[in-house]
Amino acid sequence: MATPLLSRARVQNALPVMALVVLTVIVGTIEPTFLAPANLLVVTADTMTLFLMASGVTFVIMLGCIDLSIQAVASMTSCIVAAMLAQYGFVAVPVAVLAGALSGLLSGYVYVVLRIPSFIATLAVSGVMTTVAYIASDTRSVPIPAEARDAWLFWATGRSLGVPHEIVVGLVVLVVLGGVLALTPFGRYVRAIGSQEQAVHASGIAVGRVKILAFALSGTMAGIAGVVMGARLGSGSPTLANEFLLPAIACVIVGGTAITGGVGSIWKTFIGALTIAVVRIGMTFLGVSVFAQQIVFGLILVAAVALTMDRSKVAVVK
Amino acid sequence: MSAPASLEVLGATKSFPGVLALDDVSLAIRRREVVGLIGENGAGKSTLLKVLNGIYQLDQGEVRVAGKPVQIRHPRDAFDHGIAMVFQEQSVFSTLSVAENIFLAREAEFLRGGLIDRRRLNEAARAELAKVHLDVDPRRRCAGLTFAERQMVEIAKALSLDTRIEGDITILLDEPTSMLEQREVDLLFEIVADLKDRASIVFISHRLDEVLEVADRVYVMRDGKVVHEVASRDATIPELHRHMVGRALHHEYYREARQAPGDGAAVLEVEGLTGRHGFRDVSFTLHAGEVLGIAGVVGSGREALARCLAGLEPPAAGTVRIDGRKVALASPSEAVARGIGFIPSERKTEGLVAGLSVAENMTLAALGRFTARGLIRVAEETKAAKSWIERLSIKTPSPATPVGSLSGGNQQKVVLAKWRIAGSRVVILDHPTRGIDVGAKEDVYTLVRDMTDEGLAVILLGDTLEEVIGLSSRILVMRDGRIEAELEAPPGGKPGQVDLIARMV
Amino acid sequence: MASGSLAGQRNRFARWRGLAPVGVLVLLCVVITVISPNFLSFSNLVRLLSGAAIPLVLVMGATFVILMGSIDLSVEGVVALAAVITSMLVLNDFTSADLGLLAVPVAVVAGGCIGFVNGFVHVRLKIPSFMATLGFGFAGVGVATAILGGFTVRIADRGFRELALGRFLDVPFSVWLAGMAVLVAWVIQERTRLGRWVYAIGTDEVTAKHAGVPVERTRILVFTLAGLFYGLGGALAAAQLGQGHALMGTGRLFTTITAVVVGGTALSGGVGSVLNSVIGVGIVIVLTNGMVLMGIPPYVQQGVQGLMIIVAVALALDRSRLVVVK
Repeated sequence: MATPLLSRARVQNALPVMALVVLTVIVGTIEPTFLAPANLLVVTADTMTLFLMASGVTFVIMLGCIDLSIQAVASMTSCIVAAMLAQYGFVAVPVAVLAGALSGLLSGYVYVVLRIPSFIATLAVSGVMTTVAYIASDTRSVPIPAEARDAWLFWATGRSLGVPHEIVVGLVVLVVLGGVLALTPFGRYVRAIGSQEQAVHASGIAVGRVKILAFALSGTMAGIAGVVMGARLGSGSPTLANEFLLPAIACVIVGGTAITGGVGSIWKTFIGALTIAVVRIGMTFLGVSVFAQQIVFGLILVAAVALTMDRSKVAVVK
Repeated sequence: MSAPASLEVLGATKSFPGVLALDDVSLAIRRREVVGLIGENGAGKSTLLKVLNGIYQLDQGEVRVAGKPVQIRHPRDAFDHGIAMVFQEQSVFSTLSVAENIFLAREAEFLRGGLIDRRRLNEAARAELAKVHLDVDPRRRCAGLTFAERQMVEIAKALSLDTRIEGDITILLDEPTSMLEQREVDLLFEIVADLKDRASIVFISHRLDEVLEVADRVYVMRDGKVVHEVASRDATIPELHRHMVGRALHHEYYREARQAPGDGAAVLEVEGLTGRHGFRDVSFTLHAGEVLGIAGVVGSGREALARCLAGLEPPAAGTVRIDGRKVALASPSEAVARGIGFIPSERKTEGLVAGLSVAENMTLAALGRFTARGLIRVAEETKAAKSWIERLSIKTPSPATPVGSLSGGNQQKVVLAKWRIAGSRVVILDHPTRGIDVGAKEDVYTLVRDMTDEGLAVILLGDTLEEVIGLSSRILVMRDGRIEAELEAPPGGKPGQVDLIARMV
Repeated sequence: MASGSLAGQRNRFARWRGLAPVGVLVLLCVVITVISPNFLSFSNLVRLLSGAAIPLVLVMGATFVILMGSIDLSVEGVVALAAVITSMLVLNDFTSADLGLLAVPVAVVAGGCIGFVNGFVHVRLKIPSFMATLGFGFAGVGVATAILGGFTVRIADRGFRELALGRFLDVPFSVWLAGMAVLVAWVIQERTRLGRWVYAIGTDEVTAKHAGVPVERTRILVFTLAGLFYGLGGALAAAQLGQGHALMGTGRLFTTITAVVVGGTALSGGVGSVLNSVIGVGIVIVLTNGMVLMGIPPYVQQGVQGLMIIVAVALALDRSRLVVVK
């Protein structure tokens, strides 16, 4: 009985990486320039903002919850950083990230303390954050002056030794959050809660605190993603990250993290993000419009959820 | 006996992974007969009911209605064959009206032009309610009904079959009296007597006196088999009980020789403890090295008491002291920190985290001790896990094996190891041997003795009375939320099961 | 019996809670009237009603889904697609079609199709509804975009636009249409098996299944029904704005869910009604209108609605029923 279970787990582990390799080869065959090292670097750099958003929401999804507020949070922090950078310098960055963290904290509080299902709690919070974004930006797109960007956001948008800094940021996040998830009690508790919340509660662990922390982490990462996004585009706007929610969640799920919780890793999300990027670029090569790509992401998301979720865990699917 | 039985089960066999739930079960319910069905938890009663209601399918064997084999693939089929179940956990929908409940999923006969004719629906419901002498407005929402009234609505729903199908109907009453007060039980019995004119009845209960009062004939189930069949007038309670339990006690089975006297220092002192629901004014003292058994029927309050002590359901009043210091029991975190470990009856939901490994489950309640500078010291964790795997002889390929792939007995040992690692001094065992096989049960008994040898105190809510008597050095009998009696149970001087039952019901 | 009085108490509480949304609506009207007497002018009332028409239609669909304990996040996608389809079938500057009012049933059916896909995938692949509808909602917007390629269709059909602009008894046709949608939804809820089964499933799905309710079929049907209502909402939106483009659904999801929840329908399922949702739409629309009258910038509305969702859900949640909230 144990063996097929194990092999199923193994297949599920290997599948996302295999899918990434196969897709890369396919896209490379259609468009050989895609595989040029310089291009691969650019593609990876482009993917990192998506990965930043997805890395935080991975914790939430591993709890078996969802965070639908990340796009609104990222847009909001892009507005904050854009509005403040010229005047206050680097302080704008921690302030923006802190705003993201607070938003996540609010989601976590609403979900845990008021016991509102996470999808509705985060949907509601996303409305609040959108309003904050409009207020911060005075309902316009706020440009980030080039000199301010070069002075304070070089860590995000510059290049060292030919490597775009987005990649460095992404790798740091991969290592740090990967470590948090795999090696700290917090990470262990997140995985355990997603697998069997009641047993964790009965073992004397403050489940609510762990959950709130996970949402705060998700908000923080969405906040960082918003700052990087704003830095790359040279402006902040209340709708900046609007197309990112679906791909970000898709990254997590496509990487092999189950929507039912308990299973997953930051590494998987990283693979998932690269996969989504390759799919996106493949579609662009094939001439699929950027907006229409949402169709494909929607379908991929639904298919990946169907493949990864553990149905034995939920008696009734609502 | 010449007329075919209204409902017959022949050679029914049903297995689940690791358990043979029904083993070649045959029984017959004759027309207009009330049949009692008794057995301990896990004897196979509920599986049989679910088979008859179409929720489970038999592996082998068949069900016959009026002598003809029938297929019951769905609750709907059961209805069509005149089999109606009144569930233990009530299935009345509080958001629907009484009439809508009675005819749920059978509204077709009231449709006119695709719409439900409410007047006719309510009239038909009124007729059904009259059969059970229940005087409520069929348009009323069920949310406002009492438990007993809801039960009557369920029975009315079952009875609504008799004018709607050809042939006889059989009504299965699953533990119908467990939540009722005496007055309501009497009413229920009157109705059952009434019903005999139009239906056969299967009455499932753990209250043997009630079964003998109401049934014409009794079947006893044990370990998935029918082990005894007797006419009620020839049966006695001790005899039925002997068949339910099945074997004579033998001391070795429960390691009575190793039973500690229980005169160690007081570890847990409970005074006037009252739960938000379920139990009132409970007082006792638990000593190091002692096994304190708590006996009682479903609804006696012992489960609620155990959960309260584990911090899962904070108390409403009373004081609890551990080593003389007060503890509020406001949360499991507090209970765990103060040295209480809880081994729940629902192992898979509250005991184990299936997605974590054996080692990760073992250290879950004491992860802080395996953490340095914010990081888990995995090597040390594995070492601790290995040592406990050895001590408790847990059969697992490695500490990294997902705990879900272990057998029930070994899973239970992992939960036990979790509390040993956390340093618990009071371990509450809630049905620790439920759903595990005989060999593993004996292992658990040995481990209980090991714990008390080391000075831990154990509170035991046994799966069977026999287990409570065999393992405990002292037994509290609970009834209706209060402690009814406290009995000493020294080796060689154990109270009999009949003594306990007399105090339980 | 103890449980009896407890049930009675809970019942009284439930009844009191059931009336709360009406109280909120009345209070809101009074407060706004005091601050801005203009609120009660006939023209403002008509403006309120015509603003409520589309939300009402959308909410009728979402209510059934939420009564089942599920959620439908595809509103915006379906509305956008239906609006685009409608705009392309009536006289317009993008295609040569000229179906006139016949475009409305086509849009409704198109909405129903997406709803069916939502339900089918949710039930057959056993995917949580929020995930399935999130995916197909985005896909709906994607299809709408793919058809138009970012273009905005302008509707030239005066007759069709009469749906929103024309009046009967001084009230726009769209309001009458929304009223009919409410009536249909109410009849479905009260007088059909589907309606009763929705309540049973929302209250306790496993027991409903054991009682013989065809749970899967009902679920698919309810998502389809929701899609039909969204389709109608999309057609009305096209008529109201006189155009069709891929972002026409933006903001609709928020208003819809806020209205359902604020009206008193519980997210956990089983409790609520389409009439609750009518009150909910009233609250949302009146508040929006009041904020406009008071000169509060429109972008604050989403934030206010978000807070309203949190407060309403927190107040309505029957926590005793929930063991683990995800």
